[in-house]
Amino acid sequence: MPPNGRIRCQSLTPDILTDLPNNVIDIILMRLPCEEAVRTSILAKRWRYHWCRLTKLTLDWSLWRTENDLLNPTYKFTEIISQILTLHEGPLTDFTLDVDNLESCRDIGSFINIVLRNNVQILVLHLPEDSKLPTSVFTCSQLRYLSLHNCSIHHPSAFEGFDKLISLELCEVTISSELLESIISHCPLLEQLMLDIPKLLNTIEIDAPMLSSFDFTGNISSICLKNVPLLVEVSLAGYQIMEKDIDFAKVFNSYSAIEYLSLNIACVWFFADEAPKRLPFYLNRVKHLHLSHVELKESYTRSCALCLIQSFPHLEYLKIELIVVFKNPLELERFSDVTFNHLREVEIISFRGTTPEMQLIKILLAKSPVLVKMYIDPAILIDTGSEILAELVNFQRASPEAEIDIKYYGKLELNRVETNVDRVV
Amino acid sequence: MSSSTKFLTLKTCDDKKFVLDEAIAVRSQTIKNMVEDDCVSNVIPLPNVDSKTMTKVIEYWKKHSEEGISKDMLMDFDKAFVKVHHSILHALILAANFLNDKEMLDMMCQEVVDRIKGKTPEEIRKEFDIKNDFTPEEEEEIRKENAWAFE
Repeated sequence: MPPNGRIRCQSLTPDILTDLPNNVIDIILMRLPCEEAVRTSILAKRWRYHWCRLTKLTLDWSLWRTENDLLNPTYKFTEIISQILTLHEGPLTDFTLDVDNLESCRDIGSFINIVLRNNVQILVLHLPEDSKLPTSVFTCSQLRYLSLHNCSIHHPSAFEGFDKLISLELCEVTISSELLESIISHCPLLEQLMLDIPKLLNTIEIDAPMLSSFDFTGNISSICLKNVPLLVEVSLAGYQIMEKDIDFAKVFNSYSAIEYLSLNIACVWFFADEAPKRLPFYLNRVKHLHLSHVELKESYTRSCALCLIQSFPHLEYLKIELIVVFKNPLELERFSDVTFNHLREVEIISFRGTTPEMQLIKILLAKSPVLVKMYIDPAILIDTGSEILAELVNFQRASPEAEIDIKYYGKLELNRVETNVDRVV
Repeated sequence: MSSSTKFLTLKTCDDKKFVLDEAIAVRSQTIKNMVEDDCVSNVIPLPNVDSKTMTKVIEYWKKHSEEGISKDMLMDFDKAFVKVHHSILHALILAANFLNDKEMLDMMCQEVVDRIKGKTPEEIRKEFDIKNDFTPEEEEEIRKENAWAFE
Protein backbone atom coordinates (compact mmCIF):
# COMPACT_ATOMS: atom_id res chain seq x y z
CA MET A 1 0.00 0.00 0.00
CA PRO A 2 1.52 3.36 -0.98
CA PRO A 3 1.61 6.01 1.74
CA ASN A 4 -0.97 8.06 -0.12
CA GLY A 5 -3.58 5.37 0.28
CA ARG A 6 -3.15 5.32 4.02
CA ILE A 7 -3.62 9.04 4.32
CA ARG A 8 -6.77 8.90 2.26
CA CYS A 9 -8.26 6.20 4.49
CA GLN A 10 -7.60 8.19 7.59
CA SER A 11 -9.47 11.30 6.60
CA LEU A 12 -13.05 10.16 6.68
CA THR A 13 -14.75 13.51 7.09
CA PRO A 14 -14.67 15.13 3.66
CA ASP A 15 -12.90 18.41 3.23
CA ILE A 16 -16.22 20.01 2.59
CA LEU A 17 -15.24 23.05 0.65
CA THR A 18 -12.45 21.66 -1.38
CA ASP A 19 -14.24 18.89 -3.23
CA LEU A 20 -17.27 20.96 -4.19
CA PRO A 21 -17.89 21.28 -7.93
CA ASN A 22 -16.51 24.42 -9.56
CA ASN A 23 -19.92 25.89 -10.27
CA VAL A 24 -20.77 25.70 -6.57
CA ILE A 25 -17.49 27.31 -5.51
CA ASP A 26 -18.23 30.08 -8.02
CA ILE A 27 -21.60 30.72 -6.39
CA ILE A 28 -19.94 30.97 -2.99
CA LEU A 29 -17.11 33.24 -4.14
CA MET A 30 -19.44 35.56 -6.02
CA ARG A 31 -21.37 36.20 -2.82
CA LEU A 32 -18.27 37.17 -0.87
CA PRO A 33 -16.88 40.71 -0.91
CA CYS A 34 -14.07 40.87 -3.47
CA GLU A 35 -11.37 41.12 -0.81
CA GLU A 36 -12.52 38.00 1.00
CA ALA A 37 -12.88 36.09 -2.26
CA VAL A 38 -9.24 36.90 -3.07
CA ARG A 39 -8.19 35.79 0.42
CA THR A 40 -9.53 32.28 -0.26
CA SER A 41 -6.47 31.82 -2.49
CA ILE A 42 -4.47 30.99 0.62
CA LEU A 43 -6.77 28.29 2.05
CA ALA A 44 -5.28 25.39 0.09
CA LYS A 45 -3.78 24.62 -3.31
CA ARG A 46 -7.11 23.83 -4.90
CA TRP A 47 -8.33 27.29 -3.88
CA ARG A 48 -5.40 29.29 -5.10
CA TYR A 49 -6.72 30.35 -8.49
CA HIS A 50 -10.44 29.94 -8.03
CA TRP A 51 -11.17 33.61 -7.55
CA CYS A 52 -9.25 34.47 -10.72
CA ARG A 53 -11.97 32.80 -12.77
CA LEU A 54 -14.83 34.70 -11.20
CA THR A 55 -17.24 35.93 -13.85
CA LYS A 56 -18.52 38.69 -11.59
CA LEU A 57 -16.43 41.42 -9.93
CA THR A 58 -17.59 44.29 -7.77
CA LEU A 59 -14.88 46.84 -6.99
CA ASP A 60 -15.70 49.78 -4.77
CA TRP A 61 -14.12 52.21 -2.33
CA SER A 62 -14.14 49.67 0.52
CA LEU A 63 -11.13 48.06 -1.21
CA TRP A 64 -8.94 51.13 -1.46
CA ARG A 65 -10.03 53.29 1.42
CA THR A 66 -7.01 54.40 3.38
CA GLU A 67 -7.96 55.14 6.93
CA ASN A 68 -4.68 54.64 8.67
CA ASP A 69 -2.34 56.50 6.38
CA LEU A 70 -2.47 59.68 4.42
CA LEU A 71 -1.81 58.01 1.11
CA ASN A 72 -4.01 59.17 -1.73
CA PRO A 73 -6.52 56.33 -2.30
CA THR A 74 -5.82 56.58 -6.02
CA TYR A 75 -2.44 54.87 -5.45
CA LYS A 76 -4.01 51.94 -3.77
CA PHE A 77 -6.75 51.79 -6.38
CA THR A 78 -4.14 51.57 -9.14
CA GLU A 79 -2.26 48.85 -7.32
CA ILE A 80 -5.33 46.72 -6.74
CA ILE A 81 -6.67 47.13 -10.23
CA SER A 82 -3.43 46.16 -11.93
CA GLN A 83 -3.10 43.14 -9.62
CA ILE A 84 -6.61 41.95 -10.41
CA LEU A 85 -6.09 42.47 -14.12
CA THR A 86 -2.87 40.48 -14.07
CA LEU A 87 -4.41 37.51 -12.31
CA HIS A 88 -7.96 37.40 -13.62
CA GLU A 89 -8.59 35.01 -16.48
CA GLY A 90 -11.55 33.93 -18.57
CA PRO A 91 -14.83 35.74 -19.15
CA LEU A 92 -15.99 38.56 -16.93
CA THR A 93 -19.68 39.05 -17.58
CA ASP A 94 -20.82 41.09 -14.59
CA PHE A 95 -18.72 44.09 -13.62
CA THR A 96 -19.31 46.89 -11.14
CA LEU A 97 -16.81 49.70 -10.59
CA ASP A 98 -17.64 52.36 -8.05
CA VAL A 99 -14.97 55.06 -8.04
CA ASP A 100 -17.14 58.11 -7.55
CA ASN A 101 -15.09 59.37 -4.62
CA LEU A 102 -11.72 58.99 -6.31
CA GLU A 103 -10.00 61.73 -8.18
CA SER A 104 -10.41 61.36 -11.87
CA CYS A 105 -7.35 59.57 -13.26
CA ARG A 106 -6.32 58.06 -16.52
CA ASP A 107 -5.99 54.60 -15.00
CA ILE A 108 -9.73 54.37 -14.54
CA GLY A 109 -10.42 54.79 -18.23
CA SER A 110 -7.77 52.33 -19.38
CA PHE A 111 -8.87 49.82 -16.77
CA ILE A 112 -12.46 50.01 -18.00
CA ASN A 113 -11.26 49.59 -21.57
CA ILE A 114 -9.43 46.38 -20.68
CA VAL A 115 -12.36 44.96 -18.74
CA LEU A 116 -14.76 45.67 -21.58
CA ARG A 117 -12.90 43.30 -23.88
CA ASN A 118 -14.42 40.47 -21.88
CA ASN A 119 -17.93 40.37 -23.35
CA VAL A 120 -19.41 42.13 -20.34
CA GLN A 121 -23.17 41.70 -20.09
CA ILE A 122 -23.85 43.57 -16.87
CA LEU A 123 -21.97 46.84 -16.39
CA VAL A 124 -22.32 49.33 -13.54
CA LEU A 125 -20.03 52.37 -13.45
CA HIS A 126 -19.97 55.11 -10.83
CA LEU A 127 -17.30 57.46 -12.09
CA PRO A 128 -15.61 60.46 -10.47
CA GLU A 129 -17.38 63.72 -11.05
CA ASP A 130 -16.84 65.35 -14.43
CA SER A 131 -15.21 62.33 -15.97
CA LYS A 132 -15.88 61.31 -19.52
CA LEU A 133 -17.39 57.93 -20.20
CA PRO A 134 -14.88 55.77 -22.11
CA THR A 135 -16.34 55.38 -25.58
CA SER A 136 -15.47 51.68 -25.54
CA VAL A 137 -18.72 51.19 -23.62
CA PHE A 138 -20.54 51.80 -26.88
CA THR A 139 -18.84 48.88 -28.53
CA CYS A 140 -20.10 46.35 -25.97
CA SER A 141 -22.73 44.70 -28.09
CA GLN A 142 -23.35 41.96 -25.50
CA LEU A 143 -24.60 44.34 -22.80
CA ARG A 144 -27.90 43.38 -21.19
CA TYR A 145 -27.82 45.74 -18.23
CA LEU A 146 -26.09 49.11 -18.20
CA SER A 147 -25.98 51.58 -15.33
CA LEU A 148 -23.93 54.78 -15.52
CA HIS A 149 -23.50 57.40 -12.80
CA ASN A 150 -21.79 60.81 -12.67
CA CYS A 151 -20.22 61.09 -16.06
CA SER A 152 -20.56 62.99 -19.25
CA ILE A 153 -21.53 61.00 -22.28
CA HIS A 154 -20.42 62.17 -25.70
CA HIS A 155 -21.34 61.01 -29.08
CA PRO A 156 -19.36 57.89 -29.88
CA SER A 157 -17.80 57.61 -33.29
CA ALA A 158 -19.04 54.07 -33.76
CA PHE A 159 -22.31 53.05 -32.20
CA GLU A 160 -24.51 50.46 -33.79
CA GLY A 161 -26.91 50.05 -30.91
CA PHE A 162 -27.23 47.75 -27.93
CA ASP A 163 -29.14 44.90 -29.50
CA LYS A 164 -29.40 42.91 -26.29
CA LEU A 165 -29.84 45.67 -23.74
CA ILE A 166 -32.82 45.13 -21.44
CA SER A 167 -32.17 47.68 -18.73
CA LEU A 168 -30.62 51.16 -18.91
CA GLU A 169 -29.95 53.47 -15.96
CA LEU A 170 -28.44 56.93 -16.29
CA CYS A 171 -28.00 58.90 -13.08
CA GLU A 172 -26.54 62.39 -12.78
CA VAL A 173 -25.06 62.14 -16.22
CA THR A 174 -24.52 64.92 -18.72
CA ILE A 175 -25.87 64.01 -22.10
CA SER A 176 -27.50 65.84 -24.97
CA SER A 177 -31.19 65.22 -25.63
CA GLU A 178 -30.39 64.09 -29.17
CA LEU A 179 -27.85 61.50 -28.06
CA LEU A 180 -30.13 60.18 -25.34
CA GLU A 181 -33.02 59.83 -27.74
CA SER A 182 -30.79 58.08 -30.22
CA ILE A 183 -29.40 55.62 -27.65
CA ILE A 184 -32.87 54.69 -26.44
CA SER A 185 -34.18 54.13 -29.92
CA HIS A 186 -31.19 51.87 -30.66
CA CYS A 187 -32.06 49.43 -27.87
CA PRO A 188 -34.81 47.34 -29.47
CA LEU A 189 -35.28 45.06 -26.43
CA LEU A 190 -35.22 47.73 -23.74
CA GLU A 191 -37.67 46.93 -20.93
CA GLN A 192 -36.50 49.14 -18.07
CA LEU A 193 -35.38 52.73 -18.31
CA MET A 194 -34.28 54.85 -15.38
CA LEU A 195 -33.19 58.43 -15.98
CA ASP A 196 -32.08 60.92 -13.37
CA ILE A 197 -30.86 63.78 -15.49
CA PRO A 198 -30.96 67.28 -14.06
CA LYS A 199 -30.21 69.10 -17.28
CA LEU A 200 -32.00 68.15 -20.45
CA LEU A 201 -32.31 71.04 -22.84
CA ASN A 202 -34.64 69.73 -25.50
CA THR A 203 -37.59 67.39 -25.50
CA ILE A 204 -36.78 63.74 -25.95
CA GLU A 205 -39.28 61.45 -27.59
CA ILE A 206 -39.14 58.01 -26.09
CA ASP A 207 -39.51 55.34 -28.69
CA ALA A 208 -39.14 51.96 -26.99
CA PRO A 209 -41.61 49.34 -28.13
CA MET A 210 -40.67 46.81 -25.41
CA LEU A 211 -40.45 49.27 -22.52
CA SER A 212 -42.42 48.17 -19.46
CA SER A 213 -40.97 50.34 -16.71
CA PHE A 214 -39.91 53.99 -16.81
CA ASP A 215 -38.53 55.97 -13.91
CA PHE A 216 -37.68 59.62 -14.49
CA THR A 217 -36.28 62.38 -12.32
CA GLY A 218 -35.64 65.72 -13.94
CA ASN A 219 -37.46 68.22 -16.06
CA ILE A 220 -40.67 66.39 -16.87
CA SER A 221 -41.52 68.87 -19.59
CA SER A 222 -38.70 67.44 -21.64
CA ILE A 223 -40.18 63.95 -21.77
CA CYS A 224 -42.57 62.71 -24.40
CA LEU A 225 -43.65 59.08 -24.23
CA LYS A 226 -44.04 58.60 -27.93
CA ASN A 227 -44.09 54.90 -28.66
CA VAL A 228 -44.40 52.79 -25.52
CA PRO A 229 -47.28 50.36 -26.08
CA LEU A 230 -46.19 47.98 -23.30
CA LEU A 231 -45.43 50.54 -20.62
CA VAL A 232 -47.02 49.45 -17.34
CA GLU A 233 -45.06 51.18 -14.63
CA VAL A 234 -44.21 54.90 -14.57
CA SER A 235 -42.58 57.00 -11.92
CA LEU A 236 -42.06 60.73 -12.46
CA ALA A 237 -40.34 63.17 -10.16
CA GLY A 238 -39.48 66.72 -11.02
CA TYR A 239 -37.93 69.82 -9.64
CA GLN A 240 -40.65 72.17 -8.55
CA ILE A 241 -39.23 75.33 -10.01
CA MET A 242 -39.23 74.07 -13.53
CA GLU A 243 -42.59 72.41 -13.49
CA LYS A 244 -44.97 75.31 -13.69
CA ASP A 245 -46.21 74.48 -17.10
CA ILE A 246 -45.87 70.80 -17.76
CA ASP A 247 -48.00 69.61 -20.57
CA PHE A 248 -49.02 66.21 -19.25
CA ALA A 249 -51.05 65.52 -22.33
CA LYS A 250 -47.78 65.63 -24.22
CA VAL A 251 -45.91 63.50 -21.70
CA PHE A 252 -48.50 60.76 -21.96
CA ASN A 253 -48.80 61.25 -25.66
CA SER A 254 -49.40 57.72 -26.84
CA TYR A 255 -52.06 55.30 -25.81
CA SER A 256 -51.02 53.91 -22.53
CA ALA A 257 -51.41 50.70 -20.58
CA ILE A 258 -50.00 52.20 -17.41
CA GLU A 259 -51.08 50.36 -14.26
CA TYR A 260 -48.54 51.64 -11.76
CA LEU A 261 -48.17 55.39 -11.52
CA SER A 262 -45.91 57.11 -9.07
CA LEU A 263 -45.75 60.90 -8.97
CA ASN A 264 -43.64 63.12 -6.86
CA ILE A 265 -46.37 65.64 -6.52
CA ALA A 266 -44.12 68.66 -6.18
CA CYS A 267 -44.06 68.24 -9.93
CA VAL A 268 -47.78 68.07 -10.31
CA TRP A 269 -48.59 71.71 -9.93
CA PHE A 270 -49.36 71.33 -13.53
CA PHE A 271 -52.15 72.76 -15.65
CA ALA A 272 -53.23 76.34 -15.99
CA ASP A 273 -54.17 78.82 -13.30
CA GLU A 274 -57.38 77.20 -12.28
CA ALA A 275 -57.39 74.03 -10.25
CA PRO A 276 -58.47 71.11 -12.41
CA LYS A 277 -61.63 69.07 -11.98
CA ARG A 278 -60.26 66.20 -13.98
CA LEU A 279 -56.96 65.22 -15.51
CA PRO A 280 -55.96 66.48 -18.93
CA PHE A 281 -54.83 62.96 -19.81
CA TYR A 282 -56.60 59.67 -19.76
CA LEU A 283 -55.03 56.76 -17.94
CA ASN A 284 -57.91 54.55 -16.97
CA ARG A 285 -55.91 51.39 -16.32
CA VAL A 286 -54.02 52.72 -13.33
CA LYS A 287 -54.37 50.35 -10.37
CA HIS A 288 -51.54 51.58 -8.15
CA LEU A 289 -51.09 55.25 -7.43
CA HIS A 290 -48.27 56.53 -5.30
CA LEU A 291 -48.13 60.26 -4.55
CA SER A 292 -45.14 61.59 -2.69
CA HIS A 293 -44.47 65.10 -1.38
CA VAL A 294 -48.16 65.87 -1.16
CA GLU A 295 -48.93 69.27 0.29
CA LEU A 296 -52.50 69.55 1.49
CA LYS A 297 -51.93 73.26 1.78
CA GLU A 298 -53.47 76.04 -0.21
CA SER A 299 -56.63 75.15 -2.01
CA TYR A 300 -55.13 75.08 -5.50
CA THR A 301 -52.37 72.58 -4.89
CA ARG A 302 -54.64 70.54 -2.72
CA SER A 303 -57.18 70.33 -5.48
CA CYS A 304 -54.56 68.85 -7.75
CA ALA A 305 -53.87 66.05 -5.30
CA LEU A 306 -57.55 65.37 -4.82
CA CYS A 307 -58.10 65.49 -8.54
CA LEU A 308 -55.47 62.77 -9.00
CA ILE A 309 -56.89 60.55 -6.31
CA GLN A 310 -60.29 60.42 -7.93
CA SER A 311 -59.17 60.25 -11.53
CA PHE A 312 -58.55 56.56 -11.86
CA PRO A 313 -61.68 54.42 -11.94
CA HIS A 314 -59.82 51.14 -11.36
CA LEU A 315 -57.59 52.26 -8.53
CA GLU A 316 -56.78 49.40 -6.13
CA TYR A 317 -53.86 50.69 -4.16
CA LEU A 318 -53.21 54.25 -3.01
CA LYS A 319 -50.17 55.53 -1.18
CA ILE A 320 -49.88 59.16 -0.12
CA GLU A 321 -46.78 60.66 1.43
CA LEU A 322 -47.64 63.99 3.00
CA ILE A 323 -45.23 66.78 3.68
CA VAL A 324 -47.17 69.88 4.60
CA VAL A 325 -50.74 70.01 5.78
CA PHE A 326 -52.63 73.17 6.68
CA LYS A 327 -55.54 73.05 8.96
CA ASN A 328 -58.33 74.53 6.89
CA PRO A 329 -60.82 71.89 5.78
CA LEU A 330 -61.13 70.26 2.35
CA GLU A 331 -63.80 71.15 -0.14
CA LEU A 332 -65.77 67.99 0.26
CA GLU A 333 -68.40 68.70 -2.34
CA ARG A 334 -65.98 67.59 -5.03
CA PHE A 335 -66.23 64.03 -3.75
CA SER A 336 -70.01 63.93 -3.74
CA ASP A 337 -70.32 61.74 -6.83
CA VAL A 338 -67.15 59.68 -6.44
CA THR A 339 -66.79 56.12 -5.19
CA PHE A 340 -63.63 54.06 -5.11
CA ASN A 341 -65.13 50.80 -6.24
CA HIS A 342 -61.87 48.85 -6.53
CA LEU A 343 -59.75 50.43 -3.85
CA ARG A 344 -58.36 47.70 -1.58
CA GLU A 345 -55.45 49.27 0.21
CA VAL A 346 -54.53 52.79 1.33
CA GLU A 347 -51.27 53.90 2.90
CA ILE A 348 -50.89 57.35 4.42
CA ILE A 349 -47.35 58.34 5.35
CA SER A 350 -46.41 61.22 7.69
CA PHE A 351 -49.90 61.54 9.08
CA ARG A 352 -50.34 64.41 11.59
CA GLY A 353 -54.01 64.11 12.42
CA THR A 354 -55.09 67.50 11.06
CA THR A 355 -58.62 68.23 9.86
CA PRO A 356 -57.99 67.76 6.12
CA GLU A 357 -56.22 64.46 6.74
CA MET A 358 -59.04 63.17 8.90
CA GLN A 359 -61.50 64.28 6.23
CA LEU A 360 -59.55 62.43 3.58
CA ILE A 361 -59.47 59.24 5.63
CA LYS A 362 -63.16 59.57 6.38
CA ILE A 363 -64.00 59.89 2.70
CA LEU A 364 -61.79 56.99 1.66
CA LEU A 365 -63.31 54.74 4.33
CA ALA A 366 -66.83 55.74 3.48
CA LYS A 367 -66.52 55.49 -0.27
CA SER A 368 -64.46 52.33 -0.74
CA PRO A 369 -66.73 49.29 -0.56
CA VAL A 370 -63.97 46.66 -0.98
CA LEU A 371 -61.30 48.31 1.14
CA VAL A 372 -59.26 45.78 3.13
CA LYS A 373 -56.62 47.87 4.80
CA MET A 374 -55.94 51.46 5.75
CA TYR A 375 -52.35 51.77 6.90
CA ILE A 376 -51.29 54.94 8.69
CA ASP A 377 -47.67 55.84 9.38
CA PRO A 378 -47.89 58.79 11.77
CA ALA A 379 -45.41 61.62 12.13
CA ILE A 380 -46.79 62.31 15.61
CA LEU A 381 -47.17 60.19 18.71
CA ILE A 382 -50.53 58.45 18.83
CA ASP A 383 -51.33 56.80 22.14
CA THR A 384 -54.34 55.08 23.62
CA GLY A 385 -56.05 58.19 24.96
CA SER A 386 -55.69 60.19 21.77
CA GLU A 387 -58.66 62.02 20.33
CA ILE A 388 -57.59 61.00 16.86
CA LEU A 389 -58.12 57.35 17.73
CA ALA A 390 -61.51 58.06 19.22
CA GLU A 391 -62.51 59.74 15.99
CA LEU A 392 -61.01 57.10 13.67
CA VAL A 393 -62.80 54.16 15.30
CA ASN A 394 -66.13 55.82 14.73
CA PHE A 395 -65.76 56.62 11.04
CA GLN A 396 -68.29 54.94 8.81
CA ARG A 397 -66.90 52.26 6.57
CA ALA A 398 -68.37 51.08 3.30
CA SER A 399 -66.40 47.86 3.49
CA PRO A 400 -67.12 45.47 6.35
CA GLU A 401 -63.62 44.01 5.87
CA ALA A 402 -61.79 47.29 6.27
CA GLU A 403 -59.27 47.55 9.06
CA ILE A 404 -57.10 50.43 10.23
CA ASP A 405 -53.52 49.65 11.10
CA ILE A 406 -51.38 52.35 12.70
CA LYS A 407 -47.63 52.03 12.82
CA TYR A 408 -46.21 51.83 16.37
CA TYR A 409 -49.74 51.37 17.66
CA GLY A 410 -51.24 48.37 15.88
CA LYS A 411 -54.67 47.52 14.56
CA LEU A 412 -57.61 49.55 15.77
CA GLU A 413 -60.65 47.93 17.38
CA LEU A 414 -63.28 49.49 15.19
CA ASN A 415 -66.81 50.30 16.17
CA ARG A 416 -69.16 48.63 13.74
CA VAL A 417 -71.23 51.39 12.22
CA GLU A 418 -73.89 50.94 9.59
CA THR A 419 -72.96 52.82 6.50
CA ASN A 420 -74.37 53.86 3.22
CA VAL A 421 -71.93 54.64 0.45
CA ASP A 422 -74.11 57.28 -1.18
CA ARG A 423 -74.77 59.30 1.86
CA VAL A 424 -71.53 60.23 3.43
CA VAL A 425 -70.25 63.64 2.69
CA MET B 1 -57.66 19.62 -7.43
CA SER B 2 -59.21 17.66 -10.27
CA SER B 3 -56.37 15.46 -11.50
CA SER B 4 -55.33 12.60 -9.28
CA THR B 5 -51.99 12.87 -7.57
CA LYS B 6 -49.13 11.14 -9.39
CA PHE B 7 -46.33 9.56 -7.41
CA LEU B 8 -42.71 8.99 -8.32
CA THR B 9 -40.32 6.53 -6.75
CA LEU B 10 -36.79 7.78 -6.14
CA LYS B 11 -33.97 5.37 -5.37
CA THR B 12 -30.89 6.64 -3.56
CA CYS B 13 -27.36 5.25 -3.91
CA ASP B 14 -27.78 3.08 -0.82
CA ASP B 15 -30.82 1.39 -2.40
CA LYS B 16 -33.47 3.09 -0.27
CA LYS B 17 -36.69 4.01 -2.04
CA PHE B 18 -38.71 7.17 -1.53
CA VAL B 19 -42.23 7.52 -2.89
CA LEU B 20 -43.03 11.16 -3.49
CA ASP B 21 -45.80 13.29 -4.99
CA GLU B 22 -44.65 14.26 -8.49
CA ALA B 23 -45.72 17.88 -7.91
CA ILE B 24 -43.18 18.07 -5.07
CA ALA B 25 -40.41 16.06 -6.73
CA VAL B 26 -40.32 18.39 -9.75
CA ARG B 27 -38.81 21.08 -7.54
CA SER B 28 -35.74 19.26 -8.80
CA GLN B 29 -35.06 20.47 -12.33
CA THR B 30 -33.21 17.21 -12.97
CA ILE B 31 -36.29 15.14 -12.09
CA LYS B 32 -38.56 17.56 -13.93
CA ASN B 33 -36.55 17.14 -17.11
CA MET B 34 -36.75 13.37 -16.78
CA VAL B 35 -40.52 13.49 -16.30
CA GLU B 36 -41.00 15.87 -19.22
CA ASP B 37 -38.82 13.79 -21.51
CA ASP B 38 -40.75 10.69 -20.51
CA CYS B 39 -37.64 8.90 -19.33
CA VAL B 40 -39.30 7.86 -16.11
CA SER B 41 -40.12 4.17 -16.10
CA ASN B 42 -40.77 2.99 -12.58
CA VAL B 43 -37.96 4.12 -10.42
CA ILE B 44 -35.76 7.20 -10.73
CA PRO B 45 -32.22 6.36 -9.65
CA LEU B 46 -30.30 9.04 -7.77
CA PRO B 47 -26.77 7.63 -7.87
CA ASN B 48 -25.22 10.68 -6.21
CA VAL B 49 -27.49 11.05 -3.20
CA ASP B 50 -27.69 8.86 -0.10
CA SER B 51 -30.87 8.19 1.85
CA LYS B 52 -29.92 10.30 4.86
CA THR B 53 -29.41 13.36 2.67
CA MET B 54 -32.50 12.63 0.58
CA THR B 55 -34.62 12.53 3.74
CA LYS B 56 -33.47 16.09 4.52
CA VAL B 57 -34.05 17.26 0.94
CA ILE B 58 -37.59 15.87 0.98
CA GLU B 59 -38.25 17.52 4.33
CA TYR B 60 -37.24 20.82 2.74
CA TRP B 61 -39.32 20.27 -0.40
CA LYS B 62 -42.40 19.31 1.57
CA LYS B 63 -42.17 22.33 3.84
CA HIS B 64 -41.73 24.63 0.87
CA SER B 65 -44.73 23.08 -0.89
CA GLU B 66 -47.09 23.39 2.06
CA GLU B 67 -50.20 25.33 1.23
CA GLY B 68 -50.82 28.53 3.14
CA ILE B 69 -47.48 28.54 4.94
CA SER B 70 -46.39 32.07 5.82
CA LYS B 71 -43.15 33.68 4.70
CA ASP B 72 -42.06 34.06 8.33
CA MET B 73 -42.61 30.39 9.05
CA LEU B 74 -40.57 29.42 5.99
CA MET B 75 -37.78 31.75 7.04
CA ASP B 76 -37.65 30.19 10.49
CA PHE B 77 -37.65 26.73 8.93
CA ASP B 78 -34.82 27.64 6.55
CA LYS B 79 -32.78 29.17 9.34
CA ALA B 80 -32.98 26.00 11.39
CA PHE B 81 -32.49 23.80 8.31
CA VAL B 82 -29.03 25.15 7.47
CA LYS B 83 -27.73 24.98 11.03
CA VAL B 84 -26.07 21.59 10.57
CA HIS B 85 -22.56 20.23 10.78
CA HIS B 86 -20.51 21.12 7.75
CA SER B 87 -20.38 17.50 6.59
CA ILE B 88 -24.19 17.48 6.25
CA LEU B 89 -24.11 20.92 4.66
CA HIS B 90 -21.65 19.53 2.16
CA ALA B 91 -23.85 16.54 1.33
CA LEU B 92 -26.89 18.77 0.95
CA ILE B 93 -25.04 21.13 -1.41
CA LEU B 94 -23.94 18.24 -3.60
CA ALA B 95 -27.49 16.86 -3.60
CA ALA B 96 -29.07 20.24 -4.41
CA ASN B 97 -26.52 20.69 -7.18
CA PHE B 98 -27.15 17.22 -8.65
CA LEU B 99 -30.93 17.56 -8.33
CA ASN B 100 -30.62 21.06 -9.76
CA ASP B 101 -32.79 22.83 -7.22
CA LYS B 102 -31.50 26.37 -7.57
CA GLU B 103 -33.40 27.82 -4.65
CA MET B 104 -32.08 25.22 -2.24
CA LEU B 105 -28.55 25.41 -3.65
CA ASP B 106 -28.51 29.18 -3.25
CA MET B 107 -29.67 28.92 0.33
CA MET B 108 -27.03 26.33 1.26
CA CYS B 109 -24.27 28.30 -0.49
CA GLN B 110 -25.34 31.44 1.36
CA GLU B 111 -24.88 29.52 4.60
CA VAL B 112 -21.31 28.64 3.57
CA VAL B 113 -20.74 32.31 2.70
CA ASP B 114 -22.03 33.36 6.12
CA ARG B 115 -19.66 30.91 7.77
CA ILE B 116 -16.69 32.26 5.78
CA LYS B 117 -17.40 35.99 6.02
CA GLY B 118 -15.24 38.01 8.34
CA LYS B 119 -12.98 35.09 9.26
CA THR B 120 -9.23 34.79 8.84
CA PRO B 121 -7.92 32.02 6.55
CA GLU B 122 -6.93 30.04 9.64
CA GLU B 123 -10.43 30.29 11.07
CA ILE B 124 -12.00 29.25 7.77
CA ARG B 125 -9.71 26.21 7.54
CA LYS B 126 -10.73 25.23 11.05
CA GLU B 127 -14.44 25.76 10.42
CA PHE B 128 -14.44 23.51 7.35
CA ASP B 129 -11.56 21.11 8.17
CA ILE B 130 -9.53 22.36 5.23
CA LYS B 131 -6.03 20.98 5.14
CA ASN B 132 -3.43 23.62 4.37
CA ASP B 133 -1.23 21.96 1.76
CA PHE B 134 0.99 24.98 1.14
CA THR B 135 4.53 25.23 2.43
CA PRO B 136 5.17 28.38 4.51
CA GLU B 137 7.19 29.74 1.58
CA GLU B 138 4.32 29.24 -0.86
CA GLU B 139 1.93 30.84 1.56
CA GLU B 140 4.18 33.84 1.89
CA GLU B 141 4.35 34.16 -1.89
CA ILE B 142 0.56 34.22 -2.22
CA ARG B 143 0.25 36.80 0.53
CA LYS B 144 2.70 38.99 -1.35
CA GLU B 145 0.95 38.45 -4.66
CA ASN B 146 -2.34 39.77 -3.27
CA ALA B 147 -0.92 41.95 -0.53
CA TRP B 148 -3.79 44.45 -0.73
CA ALA B 149 -6.32 41.80 0.24
CA PHE B 150 -4.39 40.65 3.30
CA GLU B 151 -3.69 44.03 4.87
